[in-house]
Amino acid sequence: MDDSAKQVLRRIIRRIPSNKLQITLRKWECLSKKQFRSLDFTQPKWLICENLLSLCEENDLSLKHVTELEMIFHIEHPTQGTWYVSQLIDAEEEALTSDLLNFRESFKVHLKSLISHVSVKIKKHEDDAIWIRIAWGDNFTKPNHFKPTYVVHHLQTPYVFVTGLAAKHRPLLHQALIPSAHYGSIKDVHLSGRCLTALRDLLMRRYKQVFPEKHPRLLEERSPLPSHPNIENEHAKHAENRLQMAAEAFGDGMLPKLQTAVYKLETSNLLESLKYCVSSGMASAPVTPLLSSIPRKGRNYFVITDKGPGINPTPGPNI
Amino acid sequence: MSLLKPFNKLPELNTANILLVENETQFQKKLADTIVQLENDVNVIVRLARSLPLPVEIAEKRQRIDLVVFIVHLSSEQSLLSTEVSLKQLESGYFMGKMCFLVTGARCGTVPSERLTSLKKMAASLNSPLLMTEDGTTEGVNTAAQRVLNMLKISAGLVPMATGLYLSSLIRYTVPADPDWQDQD
Amino acid sequence: MMENTIECPREGVLSHLDVLEMEALKLSRRQQLSLQQQSRVDDLRIMVEKLRAQRDQLKARVKTTMSLQQLKAVIDQGPEECDDDGEEEGCSGSMQLHLLLLKARQTQVKYLLQAHHVIGGYDVTETRRGQGVCVSIATAFEGCYLETYNLELDVTRTVRICRHNIPPFIPLEKLVQENLQTDLSNFLSTLSQHLNAFAGRRQQVRLIQAVLRGSVKVMESNALFNTVVVMCTELGENHRAVLCTLEYTDLSRYLPTKVTIESEDKALPSSPQWKENQSLLLETPAHTALQALKEKGQIA
Repeated sequence: MDDSAKQVLRRIIRRIPSNKLQITLRKWECLSKKQFRSLDFTQPKWLICENLLSLCEENDLSLKHVTELEMIFHIEHPTQGTWYVSQLIDAEEEALTSDLLNFRESFKVHLKSLISHVSVKIKKHEDDAIWIRIAWGDNFTKPNHFKPTYVVHHLQTPYVFVTGLAAKHRPLLHQALIPSAHYGSIKDVHLSGRCLTALRDLLMRRYKQVFPEKHPRLLEERSPLPSHPNIENEHAKHAENRLQMAAEAFGDGMLPKLQTAVYKLETSNLLESLKYCVSSGMASAPVTPLLSSIPRKGRNYFVITDKGPGINPTPGPNI
Repeated sequence: MSLLKPFNKLPELNTANILLVENETQFQKKLADTIVQLENDVNVIVRLARSLPLPVEIAEKRQRIDLVVFIVHLSSEQSLLSTEVSLKQLESGYFMGKMCFLVTGARCGTVPSERLTSLKKMAASLNSPLLMTEDGTTEGVNTAAQRVLNMLKISAGLVPMATGLYLSSLIRYTVPADPDWQDQD
Repeated sequence: MMENTIECPREGVLSHLDVLEMEALKLSRRQQLSLQQQSRVDDLRIMVEKLRAQRDQLKARVKTTMSLQQLKAVIDQGPEECDDDGEEEGCSGSMQLHLLLLKARQTQVKYLLQAHHVIGGYDVTETRRGQGVCVSIATAFEGCYLETYNLELDVTRTVRICRHNIPPFIPLEKLVQENLQTDLSNFLSTLSQHLNAFAGRRQQVRLIQAVLRGSVKVMESNALFNTVVVMCTELGENHRAVLCTLEYTDLSRYLPTKVTIESEDKALPSSPQWKENQSLLLETPAHTALQALKEKGQIA
């Protein structure tokens, strides 16, 4: 085990929380049962790390095994960093029948023809997702294993989820990805977030959407209103309608977790337009402080959070 | 528009009807659940509404309402505005001991004090009681339910020797003879 | 809970009474709740019975109307020509008959729609005051209902899909380009075929995993379930492992278009017995075929 491998391992162990360390190492399967038992997980992390290093030396493990450990941790905890989503377009016939083996070979060949120093590791997760770990180098330097890019792709779907990708590597990744997935090109879909599963569920429509139905029996069942025979809601119809409308717009049950949404209102004079909306009766008065506070606070960047009523005081000019 | 009338129907035996009006419907539900759980002797029927007037379709079926409670959240301007609008849909009979205000959030420091002041004035001008409650805790909800229930029993005529008018003349909100109040007019 | 409150009456009699009262209330509430639940279950049971009876009635009615229609058609075909060259009265009589027939046709269509719903065809609901429709397509395999998929269509100018919950690997885009604008019913039936075939393929894999657990192992399958690899053990002399690759090129079918048999024993795939098995896998759903092989004692 060379020094760089040791350094990478130290860094990975540092990033794995103590309570997840044991389970992650068990999944790794690079230590024998006896070796695994010899590790004392109540010890401080640096000590565990040193013991682990000597065990790795014993087993003659290499950088390849170390990156494997990192991948295992990332797959189990896909909330490290921000994920960006792209969509492959213009599918070819083969896109519907491509399998892991072909994809793996093709991707590696394509990428390595574009850049000489690159380390690629591809793994299939239980839910059919293909996880790709890429450590980039360039023509003169070795691949940097400290800042790997992670790519998640589900075969037969056009979506690609990427985290940790530097701008200069983006065209390389795309050039390798497009032919190996049998598509014509790729585009950004303007979706990002910390929770990979949420982004996936949102795009693949895995959350429960609600549609208008001829026999809306679901509505009656989920309506929480008649809790007691002596309580009667005068506006039950309204409440039901509102529930249905909310569910049709956003879905039902557990919804994907999304942290941010960015809207850009662009016009030659935003304030004039907003004023016109209010004065002409297009918007109901009093207008929401989200809009009316722009001139009052003298800023046009606002962050809305869960905590506290109204607008969170993000730093702005003092007026 | 059909005004809500207190005496256009005959009362039913051992039954009291209460109407909770709240724009946001959150506190309403908790309060309603607690009220029906607390009372076992009298058949209490709780009606929930977002605002007045009530829908006309079930006007025939609806029993006479003995007490109207307006729930006002001081944290929301809309809540106060909606209450003001709804008040106009009550016949004057209700203002003689058959309605009250239930206020939440009065202890919260960030709430503009003008809202409470204007609500107090409203209550005083209508000679009606104004109860302060805590909607965040179970205890607060229990206390509110207990108080409302006691008023309901009286206004429904289920307590001998007491009437809603009598009770309300005792507990109604009056403008304090404080010079500050005059200034704020 | 009760014991705890009884043990500590230090806080005064009134508060103790208060606590006792709350406990009594809680207890009575719990009893009420369980009573309510029981009665709700009973109600639902009765409802199920009622609905079943209604369904049977509807089925019976559809059947009788259909057979009546057929009878009528047979009767009408003969004498109609004679009627035409008859007198004036005959003409008005045929008009009336025509009207009756139209009415009958209308009722028939209504019943057909109902029956269509009962058997799991697609349902169409009007949305947004006639500006859109929502189509639900139910999927089923071997008499078992599976997922229902929905499409909300905007029909104001050109037909357009506003939203849907069809999985991303179904080639919806291609189907839309083919005939969403030109032939809606064709579009829906093709889509329904695709969805049913997908659900059917997935169900076969699930059934193999559930029913043939221990003897057949699903080695690989993909999101669209159009390539499925299963492994089983041949019950010959050598107990060789056999790999069957099922490929479904036609995505609107739940039967494979190509079956490949592989084994360490190179002669095995070309043996007459396995040739036969191969064609069985091409013609019958995978779980039934494999089950049959197991019963015949060809695989473990």
